[in-house]
Amino acid sequence: MSFGIRLRGSRPGLARLVACVLPVLAPVASAAPHMVIVAGLGGEPVYASAFVEHAQATANAVERLAAGVTLLLGADAGRDGIRDALRAHEKSPAQEPVVVVLIGHGSYDGEHYRFNVPGQDPTADDLAEWLARLPSERQLVVLATSASGAAVEVLKTEGRAVIAATKDGHEANAVAFGRFWAAALTEPRADIDKDGRIDADEAFRFAEQAVVRHYEDAQRIVTEHPRSDGDIARFELASISATSALAAVPGSAGARRDELLAEIDALRAAKGRQAEEEYFATLQELLLELSAVESELDEP
Amino acid sequence: MRRTGLRSNAAPIATLALAGFATAAWSQSLESCRALEFTGGDAAPSCYRELLVAADPAVRAEAAWALDDFPAANAAFRAAVQANPERPGLRTRWGQLFLEAQGAAQAQELFREALAIDPNDLEAKLGMARVALGGFDVRAEELANEVLAAAPDRHEARLILARLALEADDRDRAQRELEGPLAAADPRVRVQAFALRAAMDHLADQVPSPWEDRAVALRPGYGALHETIAHFYIITRRYREAIAALERAVEVDPTLWSAHATLGMNLLRVNRFEDGYDVLARAHDAFPYNREVVNALRLLDDVMAWPENSGDGLILRVDPAESGALAGYVRELATDALDAFAERYDYRPEPPVVVELYRRHEDFAVRTSGLPGIGILGATFGHVVVMDGPAARGIDDGFDWASALWHEIAHVVTLGATDNRVARWFSEGVSVLEEWQTGPSRFRVEGAPAGRHAVPPDVIDAFREGMLLPVATLDEGFIRPRYAGQVGVSYTQAGLVCEYVAAEHGLDGLVRLLAAFAGGRHSAAAIETALGVSPEALDGAFTAYLDERFADIDTAAFRLAGTEARDAAESGDWETALDAAERAVASYRHYVGGLSPYPLLAEAAERLGQRDQAVNALTTYWQAGGRMTGALTRLAEWRENAGETDEALAVRRTLALVAPLNGDHRVALGDRLLAAGEAEGARREYEAYQALGPHDRADAHYRLARALFALDDLEAARREVLLALEIAPTYSDALRLLTEVTTRSRAGNSGQ
Repeated sequence: MSFGIRLRGSRPGLARLVACVLPVLAPVASAAPHMVIVAGLGGEPVYASAFVEHAQATANAVERLAAGVTLLLGADAGRDGIRDALRAHEKSPAQEPVVVVLIGHGSYDGEHYRFNVPGQDPTADDLAEWLARLPSERQLVVLATSASGAAVEVLKTEGRAVIAATKDGHEANAVAFGRFWAAALTEPRADIDKDGRIDADEAFRFAEQAVVRHYEDAQRIVTEHPRSDGDIARFELASISATSALAAVPGSAGARRDELLAEIDALRAAKGRQAEEEYFATLQELLLELSAVESELDEP
Repeated sequence: MRRTGLRSNAAPIATLALAGFATAAWSQSLESCRALEFTGGDAAPSCYRELLVAADPAVRAEAAWALDDFPAANAAFRAAVQANPERPGLRTRWGQLFLEAQGAAQAQELFREALAIDPNDLEAKLGMARVALGGFDVRAEELANEVLAAAPDRHEARLILARLALEADDRDRAQRELEGPLAAADPRVRVQAFALRAAMDHLADQVPSPWEDRAVALRPGYGALHETIAHFYIITRRYREAIAALERAVEVDPTLWSAHATLGMNLLRVNRFEDGYDVLARAHDAFPYNREVVNALRLLDDVMAWPENSGDGLILRVDPAESGALAGYVRELATDALDAFAERYDYRPEPPVVVELYRRHEDFAVRTSGLPGIGILGATFGHVVVMDGPAARGIDDGFDWASALWHEIAHVVTLGATDNRVARWFSEGVSVLEEWQTGPSRFRVEGAPAGRHAVPPDVIDAFREGMLLPVATLDEGFIRPRYAGQVGVSYTQAGLVCEYVAAEHGLDGLVRLLAAFAGGRHSAAAIETALGVSPEALDGAFTAYLDERFADIDTAAFRLAGTEARDAAESGDWETALDAAERAVASYRHYVGGLSPYPLLAEAAERLGQRDQAVNALTTYWQAGGRMTGALTRLAEWRENAGETDEALAVRRTLALVAPLNGDHRVALGDRLLAAGEAEGARREYEAYQALGPHDRADAHYRLARALFALDDLEAARREVLLALEIAPTYSDALRLLTEVTTRSRAGNSGQ
């Protein structure tokens, strides 16, 4: 299932150069992700309802962009349910990303990370095994659980990025990350590059900052330190506007716009290699032309 | 190590014998060494060194202690106690070692263990009394009296009582307590009594004191004499004099490391950071066991690396991570406060005034350690204000940092105007009154008497139960509180006394009191001079004033109705909640502290569809000084929804001020200010927002660019909008602004 062409990451080398500072604009076709979202066992009512709420909110937020959404709640969210939901993508094309989001409690016994669900808990090794069977060349695992940092080393591999709510397995308290992750997917302020889309990197950074503020506001010691591994910016998850600012537009104006965006990308990547005033003067000229092209495109 | 001073560890032979030393011979040897301390030179250290090989670990401990080898002394005492666990005296001496090494908690534990073995162990009781004395704990007096009841000739207990009296500025009582010690046969007691007498003279500005000469004659190189004098200067906030005394102490006894440490801490209090650091580092190198010194050095390593933020007569020390968001407000508040107080009290401190704001309460505590009755969240040392910043404790936890800064700046004025001779109660009273009447969270409810801040119900109860102190002894409520909450009650009482004086005698009454304190008068004399009444008469009139001020307040009904309202709200019974909240308000109008009924009243009214009543409740709450951010955010939003933008803007200003590290409040205020045409204010808010490191940096740059564009600062606006577009090139609003900026710039250039 395709949702049209999105302009992203045509020059991966360049992307790596600027990824930590600026979002990349250059175009590439990108497939819609298959989403598997799971709310784990809450234990206490307050957690149970919160996990379901955050999982549901995540599912709602990603629905527009996703190729498909599988939401597992309650008894369906057991080990077998998760395994089966992933198996369903064993025949999906390799270019279609798979994103797994686990929201709940996790644990770590010094050897294994486990996601708490009804019945037997799946381990990080289980998840790694199930995901390894999928042909998808781009996978993302989001572990919004306590102790999830312990799973990162197990899960990370070529083509698979991982987001965890904690730095390691010893941060065992219930985490606030899931709440802010879900909120980020519909939050305009999370959209750093103003392209109308929230990618995993934008959501992660927003949630990470919100977690810090959450503990500061509560005057509590920070007991969770979110971390990520891999190129998470490649996963576009949610749309917060009717159209993407980077959506491809046919015609010469559209082509010129793409060229300008690519030139801006290149200029930004070369920042520091020229005098600052010269850099901003060039940037200004490109942007003014981009503004004119955008106006032209906006005309009926 | 050369030893010239008589140290507090010296104990008389009878005490050592009681402590449980193995043989009288060893005790005699120790006593011989101690006698040599009075002769000066190297005789005493040589004597002690010989005892380091004694068979009795207790003797080795005493010798090592005398030679400043605290680890060896500690290990030897441990061995002595293990060998003789039944002897309380060994634990007591070990505890005294810890007391000297700033280990009050360990000392107290050892004294307790000694008393568990022998409840009548007077040395242990004296040790407990000294721990209490050092912690400004009121139990020191009780313990000293217990010792005297059992042994009326124990001069050490009298010395403690004299010190307590002098700390409470009761010089007559101090003199009486010293009569025995001054005539004691034991020179160790006598010299300490001389030091206290000298300190008494210094406090009365009778300098030089003849008692100093007597102490020096008795014990040459007695650095503790000057350290004692310094202690009383410190607790009366005369830091310059304290520093001079401490410099003298370390000059005559260079190994008096406690004096080095205190000197270093007090140099920091007069903003001599480099000097303070050097002194503390020296103290730490020689005596690494003082935790206050370690903590101070750690803090200084951070603080001294902060970029200096000075100008307009102010030096700000704010963590760089918060400086961008806070510095503007701190400068504006401090400047406004200094201007307001200059007009009201006819005094403006010599610049610079230093303001230090700490992100962690522990760092603030390092700056104030060892001071009695110090503000819990803020303190002022002459021209140096030290306080918790808004990150250390938030407004929703009850800490109004802006009002606290106003309070501390008032201290700068009262301390400066009196050369630090102002009584604590008066300085606190003026600061509290200024918070109520002129500060950023002042009381300004329409239709209510101006500045009549509603005080905590506990204070009203304390007044009605006769627990307020006479004004002449009100300082004791700050220094050695006798019941839980007395410090807080004393703050409010001091504010009320000043409120009464201003109401009865005019603001000039307060100015005259300030002048009387500046002239060196104590509370009673200052009151008589400035107000023409005795302290007792003032107490009587003040009581009548409070009777009238609190006449309509029913604290029991207030609490009962408040509880009922909260219970009803919890169960969703909003009609009952509204009724009970209204009764709580009627029982005590305008109270906006913890458990104020106004937010709940507003919530109940809103849920019952009575928006007007809800708005009125929160408006009163805000005008009376209520600052919970959730309540104020609702009020601002309701006002905005009703199109009352001016009223909403005023509330938003409050929100941003009291919660300056909350980017949402800052950016919301910036937006409203820009819409209202106050671009300069908007710029400040957006700059603060940007400094807070928001996730959406493109948006932060764009908003600042808009404000700069409105201010016609086109180059800065261009820069900011380019920074926004560098992050988000397709950001359509920013692209439009760039076009506008460019167009206006080109038009300007072509017009030139």
